[in-house]
Amino acid sequence: MPVSKSHLLFILSAIGLIVLPHVKHIPASVFGFFYVLLGWRFIAVWQTRWLPNRAVVLVLSIAGIAILYRQNLGILGQDAGTNLFITALGLKLFEIKAQRDLYLIVFLAFIVASSQFLYEQNVLMAVYILLVCTLLLATLVTVNSYRTQTRQALKTAATLILQALPMAIVLFILFPRLEAPQWLVLEEDHKALSGLSEVLEPGSITNLGLSDQLVFRAKFTGNIPPPAERYWRGPVLYYTDGKHWSQPDAQRLQKPPQLTGEPYRYTLLMEPQSKNWVFGLDMPGTVQSPLMQQANYQLITGDNPEKRSEYHLIAYPNYNTGELGEPLQQETLRLPGEPAHRIRELVEQLHGFDGPPQAFIDRLLNYFRQEEFHYTLTPPLIEHNPIETFLFETRHGFCSHYAAAFTYLMRVAHIPARIVTGYQGGELNAVGSFLEIRQANAHAWAEVWLQGQGWVRVDPTAAIAPERIEHGINIDQQAVSGALSFAAQTVRPGTALSWLKHARQTWDNLDYNWQRWVINYDNSNQSQLLSSLGINDIKTLVYWLLTSIGSFTALLSLFLLRKTRSQPDPSRLLYQRFCRKIARHGLTRHPSEGALAFAGRINSLLPARAAEVNRITHLYLKLRYGQHARKTDFEQLRKSVSKFKA
Amino acid sequence: MQNAIQRLLDAANQVILGKQHQIRLALCCLLARGHLLIEDVPGVGKTTLAHTLAALLGLNYQRIQFTSDILPSDIIGTSVFDAQNHQFKFHPGPLFNQMILADEINRSTPKAQSALLEAMEERQVTVEGETYALPLPFFVIATQNPSYQLGTFPLPESQLDRFLMRIELGYPDHQAERLLLSGQNRHDMISRLSSQLPPGQLLSIQQAIDQVHAAPALLDYLQAILNFTRESSDYPSGLSPRAGLALLTAAKAWAFMQARNAVIPEDIQAVLPAVAAHRLRSGQTNASAVIGPILSKVAIP
Repeated sequence: MPVSKSHLLFILSAIGLIVLPHVKHIPASVFGFFYVLLGWRFIAVWQTRWLPNRAVVLVLSIAGIAILYRQNLGILGQDAGTNLFITALGLKLFEIKAQRDLYLIVFLAFIVASSQFLYEQNVLMAVYILLVCTLLLATLVTVNSYRTQTRQALKTAATLILQALPMAIVLFILFPRLEAPQWLVLEEDHKALSGLSEVLEPGSITNLGLSDQLVFRAKFTGNIPPPAERYWRGPVLYYTDGKHWSQPDAQRLQKPPQLTGEPYRYTLLMEPQSKNWVFGLDMPGTVQSPLMQQANYQLITGDNPEKRSEYHLIAYPNYNTGELGEPLQQETLRLPGEPAHRIRELVEQLHGFDGPPQAFIDRLLNYFRQEEFHYTLTPPLIEHNPIETFLFETRHGFCSHYAAAFTYLMRVAHIPARIVTGYQGGELNAVGSFLEIRQANAHAWAEVWLQGQGWVRVDPTAAIAPERIEHGINIDQQAVSGALSFAAQTVRPGTALSWLKHARQTWDNLDYNWQRWVINYDNSNQSQLLSSLGINDIKTLVYWLLTSIGSFTALLSLFLLRKTRSQPDPSRLLYQRFCRKIARHGLTRHPSEGALAFAGRINSLLPARAAEVNRITHLYLKLRYGQHARKTDFEQLRKSVSKFKA
Repeated sequence: MQNAIQRLLDAANQVILGKQHQIRLALCCLLARGHLLIEDVPGVGKTTLAHTLAALLGLNYQRIQFTSDILPSDIIGTSVFDAQNHQFKFHPGPLFNQMILADEINRSTPKAQSALLEAMEERQVTVEGETYALPLPFFVIATQNPSYQLGTFPLPESQLDRFLMRIELGYPDHQAERLLLSGQNRHDMISRLSSQLPPGQLLSIQQAIDQVHAAPALLDYLQAILNFTRESSDYPSGLSPRAGLALLTAAKAWAFMQARNAVIPEDIQAVLPAVAAHRLRSGQTNASAVIGPILSKVAIP
């Protein structure tokens, strides 16, 4: 059967929509090549002389291969596969001669559609792919029927998808999840991942301040910590050359801190990232594998951080880390060289050398507060002696400037100090009641060691710009004006802006639940859920699977049967009883077989019962289709059927 | 009356060998007041069948050979000026007979075809403002060459719908063909046939067929079939209400021929290929292949 124009238009539009979201992931040349081919094919639907001949198709194929080769994608991996499929799909469009080519293209398109999930797994994409798959199914429906009405085909396809959905959900929940071996795990896109770096150089966090990319979410059971306590611990830096600050080698925690106070319990859902850091709320309590706590209390994970992962954590607001070991004390006191004269003077002036440490800290914070220091996200560039220049000349900076200067001054006063980087704050999603922490929340603060208290958190930024800590940065306004403002409370309820905010929070909540329950549903989650349902081994699981499939099918059949069986005719019920008796001889009546035809079949198999069978059949036909059936006929039928011995 | 029908069938089977089912369908069609379309390659006995039925039913018979240059007036008749009475006088054409064999109807142009088909539907013709009733009973048996043959104007669907049934004869089987080859001349046999029905009996049979009962359960089945053809993707368009009526009429005639006074689902199944196949466009050309899905998929309620 030749391929009709409407089929072609249908399939070409469906394919055009399927490849579209790949624009973010595949190289422009491959993307462009595909759409040129698609456009060409579209024109050729009307202008058949535009269809390329075999030689041209060969040239196009070589061009496609060359484009793929130039991308240096290799042979293995999702990028290579996806690009190959898309190019092949584009080229195959010129080979539609028979219906089977259409099928092939539809199946290729299904693969390309599902390859989208290798890159993006959010709700919107899932809905989009589902819609596009409906279009593909509709294509199959049109190809397979004489009716080419688009609406009808779409309706059929949507019905099919809706009917398949419950089954898909059951399989999603129950079907055993296989953990792919490490070498097979497809790598996620690194380019999109960014975050804190191992090295702090005042000024290097500028870009983060503006990005509203989500880093992680935290859902609390019970109390949510107040904004001023929301410090999410990341890398701890203490090696410095006066300009850069960096991390020591990883060491496992030897002596856990003393933890007191009402603990916060929460679930942390980390977005994919390139580092294995997990940002626990200060101060994290004991953790379980795959998490590990390092000597500086930072949490790291043993799992692949490029996967979304979920951790159940506990945090204590009060802690005492106890004594400081000799090597660490030396490291956290070390200065890159002799401090400048001006700095020594400042420390002396604030009684850093002759007062108690706590008093010096307070005086220093006061100094920041009272002198002309400013918080800004666009500080002037400082190339030499950054700390000295910052303290005495520029005096404009953001968290890392203040943390670095503060730590340096502490060390000059012989107080062990270090910089902690991580995130501070987080926006509460009122709909889902969880905190969302974005790249804009990146922060750096200081930790000083005090006798009797251990490491104590001091945030010099809070002294300069307390609003930064209390309310967080208003990202939206920053993006617009480039200037900084701290105003979370400016949105008045009832205004359009508040609606927008509510809509955004609802959407974020939906996304959170999608990540949590769908994307993150891996085999540990599955076994947890299944064991809570009482399914502990594969046998019970199979039993459950079969039972749910069976009951679903049974329900559906019941529903369908009820539709046809509106009013049972008593004579028909008797006849069905008769059919059941006959069925024991291995003869079953086909639903579309008439009673007379069935009687003929019975008589050829059981000639001895012919008289009985004919009598029953005759009475049934008379009762069901005849005009003048009497009550006695029904009685006779009833007796005959009861007497009939199977 | 059933005896007469059986005699008639027996006699027809003497002339046309090995085609019992087709003959039964053809007779059923005529008893149901329907017109019959026979489609097959030349030489399989289309004309013989029509001629035999006409002879056995005692109807006057006329054959119209359709050619590409035939005009409506060649079929209906024409008015000729009568010089003695000084007025036009209508000379009825070959259409004014009880049984018409319209041979190779798809060889003629659509204009001539529609002249015949209008007469079939109205059972009367109008010429120059005068309406002339056609004789009663009035049957048309049209034969048609398969449309893939050269020089044919295929009948459009709307006109195919005027025929109650379309049957295909097909080649005879081996045994029947041997009998045909060794037997006597069919032409002579037909000329010796006599009417098996007394005058007027045909009309009373037709009236009796109208009285055949169709129970609600039977109508359920009929509607299930109609719905199936409308919903299934096997057919570009489903059966029309007119097709549903045709199906019921044919099934009634079939039930009557089986000596039953009520229609049962088997009657519908028996006439379904002949009644429905030419009204359903589908990729298949063979009637039983077109109807196959209906027979196997529609459950009898």
